[in-house]
Amino acid sequence: MTDAAFFAPLLEVRNLSLQYRSPGGPIPILHDISLYLKQGEVVGIIGESGAGKSTLGNAILGLLPPAFEQSDGTICISGMDLDRIDSRQGEALRRRRISAVFQDHTTSLDPLMSVGAQIAETIRAAEPTLCSEDVYRRVVALLKQVEIDDAERRFRDRPHQFSGGQRQRIVIAMALAGSPDLIVADEPTSALDATVQKQILALLRHLVEETGISILLVTHDMGVIAEIADRVVVMRHGHIAEQNAVSVVLDQPQNDYTRRLLAAVPKIRLTGDSVDTSVADTISVPALAIGGHGITKTFPLGRSVLPLMNSRRKAALQDISFDLLPGAITGVVGESGSGKSTLGRIFAGLEQADAGTIRIGEEIVDASRSSRKTGLLGRVQMIFQDPSVSLNPRMTIEKALRESVRYGARATGNGSGSLGAMMDRVGLSRSLLARYPHQLSGGQKQRVAIARALLARPQIIVADEPTSALDVSVQAEILDLLKEIVAEQNVTVLFISHDLAVVQALCRFVYVLKAGQIADSGSSDFIFTRSQSPYTRSLIDARPRRFTH
Amino acid sequence: MIAQTLRTWWKWWKWWPFRHNELPKLFLCAYVLLALAAPLLAPQNPYDPTQIFAWEASSAPGTPSGGGYVYWLGTDGLGRDIASTILYGLRISLMVSVISSAIAAAIGLAAGVSAAFFGRWVDIVIMRLVDLQLSLPTMLVALIAIVTLGPSIDRIILALVIVQWAAYARMVRGVALGERGKPYVDAARLLRLPTHRILFRHVLPNSVPPVVTLIPIEIGHAIALEATLSFLGLGVPVDKPSLGSAVANGFQYLLTGQYWISLFPGLALFGLIASINFVGEDLRRRLDPRREPQ
Repeated sequence: MTDAAFFAPLLEVRNLSLQYRSPGGPIPILHDISLYLKQGEVVGIIGESGAGKSTLGNAILGLLPPAFEQSDGTICISGMDLDRIDSRQGEALRRRRISAVFQDHTTSLDPLMSVGAQIAETIRAAEPTLCSEDVYRRVVALLKQVEIDDAERRFRDRPHQFSGGQRQRIVIAMALAGSPDLIVADEPTSALDATVQKQILALLRHLVEETGISILLVTHDMGVIAEIADRVVVMRHGHIAEQNAVSVVLDQPQNDYTRRLLAAVPKIRLTGDSVDTSVADTISVPALAIGGHGITKTFPLGRSVLPLMNSRRKAALQDISFDLLPGAITGVVGESGSGKSTLGRIFAGLEQADAGTIRIGEEIVDASRSSRKTGLLGRVQMIFQDPSVSLNPRMTIEKALRESVRYGARATGNGSGSLGAMMDRVGLSRSLLARYPHQLSGGQKQRVAIARALLARPQIIVADEPTSALDVSVQAEILDLLKEIVAEQNVTVLFISHDLAVVQALCRFVYVLKAGQIADSGSSDFIFTRSQSPYTRSLIDARPRRFTH
Repeated sequence: MIAQTLRTWWKWWKWWPFRHNELPKLFLCAYVLLALAAPLLAPQNPYDPTQIFAWEASSAPGTPSGGGYVYWLGTDGLGRDIASTILYGLRISLMVSVISSAIAAAIGLAAGVSAAFFGRWVDIVIMRLVDLQLSLPTMLVALIAIVTLGPSIDRIILALVIVQWAAYARMVRGVALGERGKPYVDAARLLRLPTHRILFRHVLPNSVPPVVTLIPIEIGHAIALEATLSFLGLGVPVDKPSLGSAVANGFQYLLTGQYWISLFPGLALFGLIASINFVGEDLRRRLDPRREPQ
């Protein structure tokens, strides 16, 4: 090893510019990116969608499609310029020194192959001379290293027999199998629940301290950065906005964009300084007019050939009773699989429950009957998670909104508002009416979805994770809009989310759902400051500490 | 040396029209134009007995005709000009296959979307019919239809529709099932839109694109099937021209060395189906949203 290679950082990207060759001429994607990463360091790359952070990660991994070309700059590993050396050598260097962990643990693993065999395959690719006995021992050691219990026995299990968090651990074990120096982790915890995310981040941090490996962490989540990164690179529109130690970026951000990004991250308050006395810790049920009682829903587990054999069913919701504060936002929080979305869909009449009733004012509706027949359908409007699929791609915004006015308002008998006024209200230019959904940004689409829901003049709106598909800065704007509208129009909102901070910012009353049951409920103030429920506490603790006060 | 040769080949191959699928498009355009202009281009109407010179039967390609033109592709055993037969035959082949595919696509679209949207017994009835249809050999179904209905052009179209609709229905159902589960359909349901509006304004327009890619492929099938039926004497009636019956006309003469009666209509048929399939494949690739930019 030459001196230069010895003193060079593990990874150095110098003045990297990338462009995308499109039929209409090259489109610049990355501009003049320079960063470095030392042995045993965790560097986070943060940015909103379209910032070019994943492209940068893939460029380092050598995974960019051929339509991308490097117009300037170099990527060096231990001082060796990947462009300068033969491309086959460069590839070999990458394969030996760098490995990857991607977001989606369901597609990163081969569903037909046992996890042990998959890890063994990676080890053999890196060290073809190893005998099978040694490979087996290495695999078991790796599984133990990523804290999979009972590694010897689970060696032969297939990916579907593991939970999401365990699968991501196995993906990490695979990334470690070739003994690389650097792991590029692209949103490694974005598909996981907060409590699991915390464990995976702790594991990554532990691996860095134990083995001296380096991690380049690509993420959109400030909380993840705050939890494990040593240094942060803030990216925006393909440029580096700021690059500094994590404590500097979080506490004294130098760049305007970083400041805005940090301000947009919703934070949890754990002190009850703004005690909301208007809502009691618990709601006295008969006083309120909107809610559900005894809602139960099960799904069949698998499908049997014989119709009468379908007896095994999984309970999604068990005897849930809830009340909504009229003219305010009530939150339902839970991790994935807690049944919170099912509850929202039953309340909106999109799904039939097995049992239970829904009360809207004086009316009590049987939730186990067809919602079209009971008249429940149409009383409640919904705002969905992903605005790119909640608007018909073949309808202009104007047509979609007009439909809402024409058909939606019919049910309640209220007059229709003008589309233009509604566009103004949700903060969109009237000129967008002629556009199709794909011509709008994610935030704009979600505003259209809100406008569509409002134009139907509903009493009640169910918002199912309306901001989880959006960037933080856009999320903040949409949440503000929701708050204003609720205050103005006197609608009652059931707000479903996995994000405690968002729920606290928005809701006056909160239900915590766990595996189809209500684990905790109370005023927002009570839940976040005084609740004794261990489950609620564990959810709050899973939040990155930096963003709780 | 070898690498150099390969590189040169590659350079030429890049300009070769097949690579960009230009040649099949040209061919197809030419076929359509020839079919449309057949009465103007063909020297004789081979199915008008007054224009046929019976004594010039089985003339070899290039023989001059008594009518002042040349039999460039020869004549058949009854003295009909092969070139003219091909031109007139193309008209019927194209018309029959395009009309039957359009009708089959419309029926399949309606059936597939209904099956996906209504589910339950509607789905069961439609899809079992589709299964039934697809489990019977195409040829057999067409034969039974023609034998029971009798040969005529509208009956052939009917037979081809019966054979083809199921493929469309099954494809559309798959697509529509995916679309039905998307939130924009939920949003439409929440507005209590009438069912027909959800179907025709929301689910249907989003289920059409994949069907468009199936149409050219099915037209190719229809042409082949019509030609087969006509070859067997069960397709287009004997007093109408068809590529299939033109091939059949020369069948008995093949062994006597009069190859042209069967060969030229056969080549025309081959070229037509091949160009349609190439264009269809090109269309499919272009409409595939996952395609890589060139």
